[in-house]
Formats: sequence, C-alpha cells, structure tokens
Amino acid sequence: MAKIKLDIFRFDEATDTVPHRDVVDVDIPETVTVLDALEHAKAEIDGSISFRRSCRSAICGSCSMNINGVTGLACKTNCKDVVKDDGSIQIDPMPNFQPMKDLVVHMDPFWDKYARLKPYLQPKDKDSEHETERRVSPDDMKKLVDVANCIMCATCYALCPVVSVDPAFAGPAAIAYAYRFIEDVRDGKRDERIAQISEDYLWLCAHCYACSYCPKHVDPNWRIVDVKRAAIKDRVMMNERGPRHALVFAKSVKQLGVLNEADLIQGTIGRFNIVGLTKVMPQAVRMAARGKLPPPFMKPIPKVDEVRTIFDSLEVPVS
Amino acid sequence: MSTTLLPEDQALPSHRATRSRETKRYGFFPGCVAKESCKELFNSTMLLADKLGIELIELTAASCCGASVVNDVNRDVARVLNARTYAQAEALGLDDVITICSTCTGHMRAANKELLESEERMDQANAILGKFGAKYNGGVMVRHLLWLLIDDIGLDKLRSMVVRPLNGLKVAPFYGCHIIRPENVNGWESARNPHSLEDVIEALGGEAVDYAGKTRCCGFHIQLEKDGVAANMVGQNMRMAKDHGAEAVITPCPLCHLALDSYQQDAAARWGRTDLPTFHLPQLVAFALGVPAEKLGLNKHLIDPRTVMVERDLIS
Repeated sequence: MAKIKLDIFRFDEATDTVPHRDVVDVDIPETVTVLDALEHAKAEIDGSISFRRSCRSAICGSCSMNINGVTGLACKTNCKDVVKDDGSIQIDPMPNFQPMKDLVVHMDPFWDKYARLKPYLQPKDKDSEHETERRVSPDDMKKLVDVANCIMCATCYALCPVVSVDPAFAGPAAIAYAYRFIEDVRDGKRDERIAQISEDYLWLCAHCYACSYCPKHVDPNWRIVDVKRAAIKDRVMMNERGPRHALVFAKSVKQLGVLNEADLIQGTIGRFNIVGLTKVMPQAVRMAARGKLPPPFMKPIPKVDEVRTIFDSLEVPVS
Repeated sequence: MSTTLLPEDQALPSHRATRSRETKRYGFFPGCVAKESCKELFNSTMLLADKLGIELIELTAASCCGASVVNDVNRDVARVLNARTYAQAEALGLDDVITICSTCTGHMRAANKELLESEERMDQANAILGKFGAKYNGGVMVRHLLWLLIDDIGLDKLRSMVVRPLNGLKVAPFYGCHIIRPENVNGWESARNPHSLEDVIEALGGEAVDYAGKTRCCGFHIQLEKDGVAANMVGQNMRMAKDHGAEAVITPCPLCHLALDSYQQDAAARWGRTDLPTFHLPQLVAFALGVPAEKLGLNKHLIDPRTVMVERDLIS
C-alpha cells in the first residue's frame, strides 16, 4: 500500500467564480491507476469530487484529464509511473475546454466539430438500388482500422496548441475522422468532405505532433498529412494558402535543391495579393533592418539534377 | 511482409558508437534556414566547433530535408531526398550527420527510421539513387548538435571549458517540436519532460527556467496560413516563460528562433510585452566558451540579446 496525495482541481460553475485545489490523501496499492485512486477518493473520502468515467479499460474515452500537466486517460495511467517524489499527483481538467465541475469539462465544441463532418457513411447510391452488400477489400480496410480505433477521448484536442489559440481549427480528432470517410471506398462524398475539412482549417495544423500522444495510436498527426495529400491529389480547394504553400515549397526544392524562403512567402500569400503581402511587410522591414531578409535569387545546390530525378521518379506534384 | 535492417532489440540509433565520434570528424547538415535568414546560426556553429576541437564537414550537395512540408504533397519524396544525403555522407566516410535545426533532426531521423525498418523502402530509395550512381547502405546516424554536446563532449567537460560563466542568467529552454516528437522517431530523451537544454544552460553557469511552454509549438509552420495564429502561439509560450522569471530564451531550432524573435512584438497586444531575446544554442555555448560576442551575430536578432547580457555583466 502507498499513501498518495491527490492534488485535485476543484470548481463548480454553478457556484464558484474561481477554482481552488483540494489535497486528498488516499491509502491504496501503488500499482492501481489514477482513475482507481480517484474512485477511491470519491467513495471513501469526498463524494463531491466529480469526474467522468465508465469502462475503466481505455475503451469508452471518458476519463481524459491532465495528470501532472500531461493529458491522458486516467484509466491507462498507473499511479506508480506518475507519482512525484513528495508522494503527490496533480490532477486537472483537460486544457482547451471550459471546466464544468472539477474534472468534468464542456465537451460541446469537440462534438460540434465531429457533427460538421457528417460522421456516417454516405454511399454514392441508395441501399435499395444496391443489389449486393458493399464490400471492402482487406487492403482498403487496412487504411481505416487504425483510425477506427478512435474513442473520441479528446486527448489530442486538449493537447493541440492551435486549438488553444484558435478555436475555429477543427482539431486533430475531427480531421482523423474525416480521413476515415475520405478513404472509405464505399463513401460517395469524398471531395465534399475534403472541401468541408479544408474550410475547417485542415491546413492550420502546425505539424507539432503533440497529437502523437494518442492513447489509442490513431496518430492523428499522420492522418492529417494523409488528408492534405488527398486534397492535393483531388485538387480540392487548391486556391487556399495551405496547398499553395506545400506546392511552392516542393517546387523550390525541386528547382534549387533547397528552400527559397523569399519565394515561399510570395508564393503562399499570392504573388498578386497586395493586401496579404502588405500585411507581412512590417515584419519584412524589421528583418531587413537587421540584415535578415532571405536572398531573392538563389543558386541551385551542386548536382541538383539528382534531386529533380527523385521528384520525377516519384511523380511529385509541384503545381 | 517487409523485413527490418535493424537488430530486433535495437531502436533507432541515437547513442551507438560511431567512427565520427572517434575521429571527431562529423558530417554536417546545416539546413536551409541556417544558410539563408539565420546565417548567424551557421557562423556561430562553426566557431563553436573550433572551440570544441571537432571538425564539421558540411554536406554541400545535400538537399532540403523536406521540413515536414513536402510530406503534404508526397509520402516518399522526403525519404528518398534524405537517403541521397546519407549516401553523400557515406561516400565521404562519415557515419554521423549532425544537424542544428529541430525540424531537420526530426524529419531526417524519421526518413532514416523508415529506410532502416523496411527493406522495401530502402530498395525503392536505392533504385532511384542508382539512376545517378548513388547508394545508401544504412550506416548513417542523424543527431542534433545538442546531443553531440552531451554524448560526445560531455557536460563535465563542457563545464570545465567554460571561461565566461553566464552569471546565473535566467534562460528559458525552447526545444522545438521536432527534436522531441514523435517520441518513437527521436527518443533521445523523454519528449514530455526533456532536460538536455536545462543541463547545458546549467553547465554554462546559467539558471534554467522551468515552464510548460518549453515543449510546445512556436507556430512557425503555419505563420503564413492564417493571420495572427502563429503570433498567438509565440505570445502564449513567451508569456509563460516571462512569468516564470526568464530573461532570455535558448533554442536548438532556427525556425523557432525566427518565430520567437520576430513575433513577440505582434503578440504583445494580446499577451503583453515579453521582449525576451532568443539565443541560438551554439551562440550561447560559444560565448561561454570564450568566442568574442561580436562574432556571434547577436546584432542580427530583432530583439537584441546584448541588452540583457550587459545587465548581467556578461559584456560591457
């Protein structure tokens, strides 16, 4: 048995204006999970501690919370792995959400972003007109099984630094779930789905891989890249800055072997987008004053033909 | 089924002994930004290498690493571009490629992992490299200069080489996503609680500032995507650093440097003035090891770090 101090965030939106913390001492086997410790505290010490839980085995996705500042499922985190030297574990609600009561948060923005996806199969034809079952080959299914493991626990959404400053961003889970339908051979709305998720700022993903901590190994970070490639392959919403940025980047590497920073800025914003270019001018002026502006004309690297051979062999799109 | 070229019990190499480590001659991949808008990083790295007594042999015909962005157009191209770079290092007899950019580190290591883990992907890369007579044999390890400082030089040695201790300067580490995440690609240290930068700061006589923003994203890759988002990400992180007492920031990544150095001003309206000067890792190490401050390109920074260095009696 071990004595553990649970240092818990306490707040009730119905009565409180500011949160406070309670330290609850529990005497439990050290091998139990953080969720077990919370259940023990609620059952034996303070019945008012609120948190969401159901399955206790990383299936339902209810108990994601911040444990010592790290977001994850309480049922999948062992106390002995996280307990600090002073015997405490600090528990807070998921960031990027409005707290409701203690560790329970308002999940609405997260569900709203799911709902916008129309997260159900929309086949090309009606079931009544379809004479046989809709079959999927094992190879086609293989692309979907990982992402179908998503339990909508919102850990990735809570970890996302873009969501934290811009709630308009769809967030990792919704984009991964969009992928699940975009790559489903039975679905008939592929391009509409790509357009929808592009509008919900698919290209605002910052490539930070914070969502690589997915407790179910959905790896939304790679699924986001998959959806971007699908957008470029199908040429959907190509006039946005995101796809332009990716293609100008690729073109620069193909032509020069390296990145042309100055060209990348113009190419992404739009070479004739005077308003957009004016907006980056103050920063450009500041950088120029320090001799930091990238050179407008650049020489290709030695043996750049080899790089072009690589691009051509793989048929990489550059426009 | 594809087979793996890695021994079963061996993860992606980042600690193994290399010939480069014995001979102190390393392959050097500076990356695009250190050659373009952050030349001060390239220059101070070369000055630091002199002080450390190591030779960094620049792979001058190397291409861009792909920087995560080319993944958005094609899943294979970054891997093959990097295989070409590794083949160049091998041809020079170098088995250790050193980077000075978090994004280069992460994406070059990811490419190497994919190549070493799958014979199929290695064959695909070599089939293309064969068109111009190159071949990658899988013998290269990619590491950041930060890891070289700790593994090959050692913190004790580094501490003993310091001639200008930082007088307790409070420095906030800012790692940059791609040197720590995804953890199964980098894996040199814990991605959730890294401490290599803190260890270096303390070895130099500074005081490391602990704050939640140190492993978060600077927003560099989306700075052109939607106005204000990247600046807000910078502001949020720098606010945390400032509130925890930071006087300056250190980063192993020139992309983070560009974002942190140039966006704090734009973020001030929402996050308040922070004005934290940002050092490139090699600048601060080279300074403590005795390289004259005026050679480090500190005048190239938008937020001039010399102000805080004067306050701390580091320069006059």
